[in-house]
Amino acid sequence: MGEQIVFGFAAAAAIVSAIMVITLKGPFRATVALIGTLLSLAVLFILLMAPFVAAIQVIVYAGAIVVLFLFVIAYLGERPLAEVGDRLGRYAVFAWIAVIALGAQGVIVLATTKLPGFRDDPKQIGDIGSPRAIGESFLDRFIVPFEATSLALLVAAVGAVLLAKRAVRHEGGR
Amino acid sequence: MIGETVNGVPLILYIGLSGALFLLGLLGVMIRRNPLLLLLSVELLLNSANLALVAFSRYWGVSDGQIFALVVMVVAATEVVIGLGLVVAVFRQRIALDVDQMTSLKG
Repeated sequence: MGEQIVFGFAAAAAIVSAIMVITLKGPFRATVALIGTLLSLAVLFILLMAPFVAAIQVIVYAGAIVVLFLFVIAYLGERPLAEVGDRLGRYAVFAWIAVIALGAQGVIVLATTKLPGFRDDPKQIGDIGSPRAIGESFLDRFIVPFEATSLALLVAAVGAVLLAKRAVRHEGGR
Repeated sequence: MIGETVNGVPLILYIGLSGALFLLGLLGVMIRRNPLLLLLSVELLLNSANLALVAFSRYWGVSDGQIFALVVMVVAATEVVIGLGLVVAVFRQRIALDVDQMTSLKG
């Protein structure tokens, strides 16, 4: 029962802060609202017996990625970010149609699926989310994806440096 | 929809929440015009996918879904680095930060 209460609070917080992310005008406020969603999801990860993923969610997402967003927003300043107003009228109608159609499909799938145990208590399982289990999976079965992520990070770092360098030269730097 | 003797949280609730977050992120991507806020909505999309992955990992009792969620986080980090680099580069060209006005490559 306690698990359900925690789930209810975390789910409500995640939905409310997600709505704030897509409706708040100022980019700074929207980014801070995103932290609410990320922390709520970390709580849900703990409920799902994934403490390591929850820790990484807080450290990498709420720590590093959101701070990167805040740095860029502070660097650009509020001046040119004055929101021109979100898309209104005819364009927004198509967005709503797409979202409502996709949501209806999702509800139908969830209501008619025959996946066994989908609506019942989750079954008892062993240790799947501890750092030890994750590390063993990474170094045993998933060593190739593990190395591929390091390559992706390297490419992203090189790309970011190239982008920044070109921009500086444009301003008259070296 | 859910049995009466359930004490824990069944998978369907996690998947439903993940779908709701995905729809909100999708709406944000299509409605927002500021590229920074567009990237925030993309983060919502990636997080909803992560929630579904971890929920199914719990359902099947294996850690594969959590591994995939961690890889998705790395991809999100790289995407943010490149996306914010592009935003800063566009900003330095003195162009308004509005995706509807960035039409230089439009055919």
